[in-house]
Amino acid sequence: MSGGLFLQSLILGVLLGGLYALMAAGLTLYFGVMRVVMIAHAAFLVLAGYLAWFFTTRTGLDPILSLAVTVPAFFVLGVGIRRLLITRLKPATMTMMSVLLTFALALVIEGLLGFTFTGVQRRIRTGYSSANFEIFGAQVAVVKLIAFVLAVVALGSLWFVLKKTSLGQALRATIQHREAAELVGIDTDKVAGYGFGIGLATAAVGGTALALDATIYPSLHWHWIGPMMAIIVVGGLGSIPGAAMAAMALGIIHAFLQVPLGATWAQTVFYVALFGTLMVRPQGFFGGRLAQRF
Amino acid sequence: MASESPPNLLELDRIEAGYGHAALVLRGLTITVPRSTIVCLVGPNGAGKSTVLKVASGMLHPRGGTVRLDGHDVTRHGPQQRLRAGLAHVLQGHSVFPEMTVGENVRLGAYTVPDRATVATRVQFVQHLFPVVSEQWDVLAGLLSGGQQKQVEFARSLMIDPKVVLLDEPSMGLDPKATATVFEQIERMRDTGTAVLLVEQNARRALQTADIGCVLDLGRVHMSGPAPELLDDPELSQLYLGGHVAG
Ligand SMILES: Nc1ncnc2c1ncn2[C@@H]1O[C@H](COP(=O)(O)OP(=O)(O)OP(=O)(O)O)[C@@H](O)[C@H]1O
Ligand SMILES: [Mg+2]
Repeated sequence: MSGGLFLQSLILGVLLGGLYALMAAGLTLYFGVMRVVMIAHAAFLVLAGYLAWFFTTRTGLDPILSLAVTVPAFFVLGVGIRRLLITRLKPATMTMMSVLLTFALALVIEGLLGFTFTGVQRRIRTGYSSANFEIFGAQVAVVKLIAFVLAVVALGSLWFVLKKTSLGQALRATIQHREAAELVGIDTDKVAGYGFGIGLATAAVGGTALALDATIYPSLHWHWIGPMMAIIVVGGLGSIPGAAMAAMALGIIHAFLQVPLGATWAQTVFYVALFGTLMVRPQGFFGGRLAQRF
Repeated sequence: MASESPPNLLELDRIEAGYGHAALVLRGLTITVPRSTIVCLVGPNGAGKSTVLKVASGMLHPRGGTVRLDGHDVTRHGPQQRLRAGLAHVLQGHSVFPEMTVGENVRLGAYTVPDRATVATRVQFVQHLFPVVSEQWDVLAGLLSGGQQKQVEFARSLMIDPKVVLLDEPSMGLDPKATATVFEQIERMRDTGTAVLLVEQNARRALQTADIGCVLDLGRVHMSGPAPELLDDPELSQLYLGGHVAG
């Protein structure tokens, strides 16, 4: 591998890793606050991508501006889904039943997308869609950089909310010890709802970022849910920093493998990592303490 | 002299409670905890001691009976409302937030206290009381030893300056020095008017500190009275305190 190609792969890997980290962040939140495995998360990513595409083709404005609508809408949708659907599941079987429930949700979203927008592949076109820039001699697509910046901003905001706000403290307390959180006066039910809403709001940003650089179609989410699940298991279920580090590591490996193996085979890195993790260290590599309790 | 506020800070009146569809754990249990009093609840494993505290703090809603806090019926209130009314509950086992620092844990104890100056004063107070809290302030609570975590939990519960404190086996896993600190605190709280409902596995030690003892069996208070009398009761000693009274 030449020096130029190496650098190109590394940059590509970091940019992809950032995007993966954002796409997986929501999954760790759902699991953290509710023990819910949200199979429909990727479908919501695709939904957000469609909404961005629709917004741009209708208004001619930049797709990123659609976030002003989709982020709050997804937050409210998340709060609603938890209240109306998830809370109906029994706590004892929550994790298992949530897989079935959200699987159905994913099918519904896929069906609605197909019904509304047909199965035709769509792609967002902007003035910068095919632009490249050069960094250290490597050519990188501008949209990839924008997606990465979106991811960094979204994850930074998420970090800020979780670490520096009172809601974030309450959310982390609820994740770490629900009964104790209740006993210091946190309304854990409300907080869990917000946690779900924030998780879905990250899907709005992640889906829009993804759609900047990818062709979208209703069944695209099946392509993404596997890698995202792999990321959160490798990172340690429920750990956002863990998911981010796993996403970065797998993003970089993925980018490097694309050169010799091609896109399809490179994808297997996620499954290899998933199986490897389950065999060697089922609690994940970064989420240690918290994940061990489940 | 007629007092404005009722003498009993906490009253559990003919409580019936259980989990889900399983059989009742508490069957018509009545306990009152007066102001400036330590009531100690003893009983075998699984007798329902922790359940009593859960009903008192609102974590478990009873199927029958009434819970009164400072004279007000709070049976339908959740834990937050009871906390605001001055009730603190330290759970059995470990209940720190493990991925947060000791400081964050203690400050969360004052989640419902809006005044920053009050919070700052109480932080200083608990830091002074439990050296481990100030020494390990920036350390993740999950990394502390079991006994240190227990002290953090106790410190956290003191942040609301509670009127009623429910303690579920507070000395479990503590070394003699930390146990002494906890018991000293319990006595200090009693002396400043707080009502304490204490569950202890170390029943003999607890009854030496407590004013009133209650023996829980088959979901009811099987026997209750002044703690020194219970300590001297031969039957009780045999059954629940493990062994005979000395002398
Ligand atoms: N969350 C729960 N769900 C179902 N049953 C429970 C639950 N917690 C306790 N129980 C049952 O209620 C009964 C009383 O339990 P509790 O924890 O109150 O006992 P305890 O007196 O505190 O015991 P220990 O001394 O072991 O702490 C037990 O039979 C237990 O199996
Ligand atoms: Mg107990």
